Amino acid sequence: MKLHYYPGCTLKEKAVALDISTREAMKRLDVELVEPEGWTCCGAEYPLTEEKIVGLAAPIRVLRQVRDEGGEVLVTTCSFCFAVLKRANKALRDDPLKRKRINAFLRDDIQIDPLTKARTTDFEDYNGEVQVLHLLEYLRDRVGTPKIKSRLKRDLKGLAVAPYYGCRLLRPQEEMAFDEPDAPRVFEDFLEAVGCSAVDYAFKQECCGSYLSVSLPDAATEASYRVLRAAQMEGARAVTVTCPLCFYNMDSRQAAIKEKFLDFSGLPVLYFTQILAWALGVDREVLGLGEHAVPADSLFEEVPTTEVRT
Amino acid sequence: MSKTASKPKKAVAKAKDAEASLVPIFVMGKRYEVPASLTIQKALEYAGYQLVRGCGCRGGICGACGTVYRFPGSYRIEVGLACQTVVQPEMYIAQLPFFPGNKAVYDIETLPAVGGTIAALYPEVFKCVGCGTCTRSCPMDIDVMGYISKAIQGDLTAVAQSSFDCVMCGLCAARCPAEEVQYNIGILARRLYARHLAPKAKHLAEAVKNVEGKKFDKALQELKKKDLEALKKIYKSLEIEPDMADESWTPTDKSFLGE
Repeated sequence: MKLHYYPGCTLKEKAVALDISTREAMKRLDVELVEPEGWTCCGAEYPLTEEKIVGLAAPIRVLRQVRDEGGEVLVTTCSFCFAVLKRANKALRDDPLKRKRINAFLRDDIQIDPLTKARTTDFEDYNGEVQVLHLLEYLRDRVGTPKIKSRLKRDLKGLAVAPYYGCRLLRPQEEMAFDEPDAPRVFEDFLEAVGCSAVDYAFKQECCGSYLSVSLPDAATEASYRVLRAAQMEGARAVTVTCPLCFYNMDSRQAAIKEKFLDFSGLPVLYFTQILAWALGVDREVLGLGEHAVPADSLFEEVPTTEVRT
Repeated sequence: MSKTASKPKKAVAKAKDAEASLVPIFVMGKRYEVPASLTIQKALEYAGYQLVRGCGCRGGICGACGTVYRFPGSYRIEVGLACQTVVQPEMYIAQLPFFPGNKAVYDIETLPAVGGTIAALYPEVFKCVGCGTCTRSCPMDIDVMGYISKAIQGDLTAVAQSSFDCVMCGLCAARCPAEEVQYNIGILARRLYARHLAPKAKHLAEAVKNVEGKKFDKALQELKKKDLEALKKIYKSLEIEPDMADESWTPTDKSFLGE
């Protein structure tokens, strides 16, 4: 089946591994991911100023395009994109004034086909018709653990992996509304479904440093260290993330972390889709492991394939 | 009308014909009556403006005459090139001869052909809020927001291709709330693409090799010896590639074709 998928800008350049592993994995679950025509940056940050609604224009245009292409669901993997798209969608559903203002603005849209120059105008108002789902949520609710298990091609032998939620995935709860932020299960259940064991640790929702990486790199180094160290102390052999920025902070900062904190010895960081794709039988070469600063190859050693429940 | 009343009948009719084809336009708020068939650029000159800047090729290519206009009763700002847009009654017109957009200075030879180059030279590209005003402001019907989006995604080839028709008029930048300079980002991508990414044309290298190998020298020497009449005759009998010839077209005389 076809499913609308919003990769987001980062997945097109810096986090290609997340994009390709997502596509490869979903193919093995009979899902073909299609990108909405002409998608743009979602804005990365949901506008928190009530009156500053221009930030809604881009995500709502993406969602309108999905609807106009006949899509009912849009999945995404990047936590930032997910938060913006989901919150913008909810704002349009719940807030009549925002709905009116943003539609009044987007009604003047002109869409120009880059090749044929064909112009599309007269867009229908968007009222929140599309459902925005994180891929973890889609896997849990639409694919389901039994189907995932039935498609597993590799036995991960209970590899100890620490799920890292970060800031964006679950909060604010009333808006993201797909798991309990204080005691989430979705990531743990996913890891167990693909044959890993989920490591429980205290810092799974602490901030990795986020954009401080730009303005205060030392603070991001320290924040990432706390998460990685906590995971390692609980026996994790890798940390897994959904967010390219979390990945960047926790993966590429490890050189700085090791310099600063002598008790830390390095821990691979993986996108959850790399684990999924691997478990579903995708070749190691297409997992994008070359993007990792901390080598993760050893976690993806080919072991004699054991037939896992068919 | 009162002035013409005292004139002979024939002259009145003539003046009325001329009046019938005049349309009112507003240039920077001042009303002028100009012949309806003129372009905005010619209308400005008809009205007495001397265009020194803000006019270049007068053929819709150079992008010097970006113009914004609006009609009474509509809020919408419309755009066009003054040299290409015919006046319409009641147009309110302002030209934008120059826009002081940010412009990076670089050496294209040493610039890496990666998406990050745009980010490094024009970091404001990430300020785009996706409002779409640039696309609405493009007189060349370019999907401007689309190529800025591709620039953010680091796809140089897509930026180069979809910004190809840009005439650098600056109207997109003039209306951008994020203060992007879309046209300079577009041309940077096209330069990077052309210099580093576009596949090299094999036939061009071959042609250069032929020139350097003096393949055409003898024929040129022979031409030089001919008198004017003989040259005219040769010129008139030249076989010219038809306008819509397909890629496989070759001339009858193949002696100068590369191998």
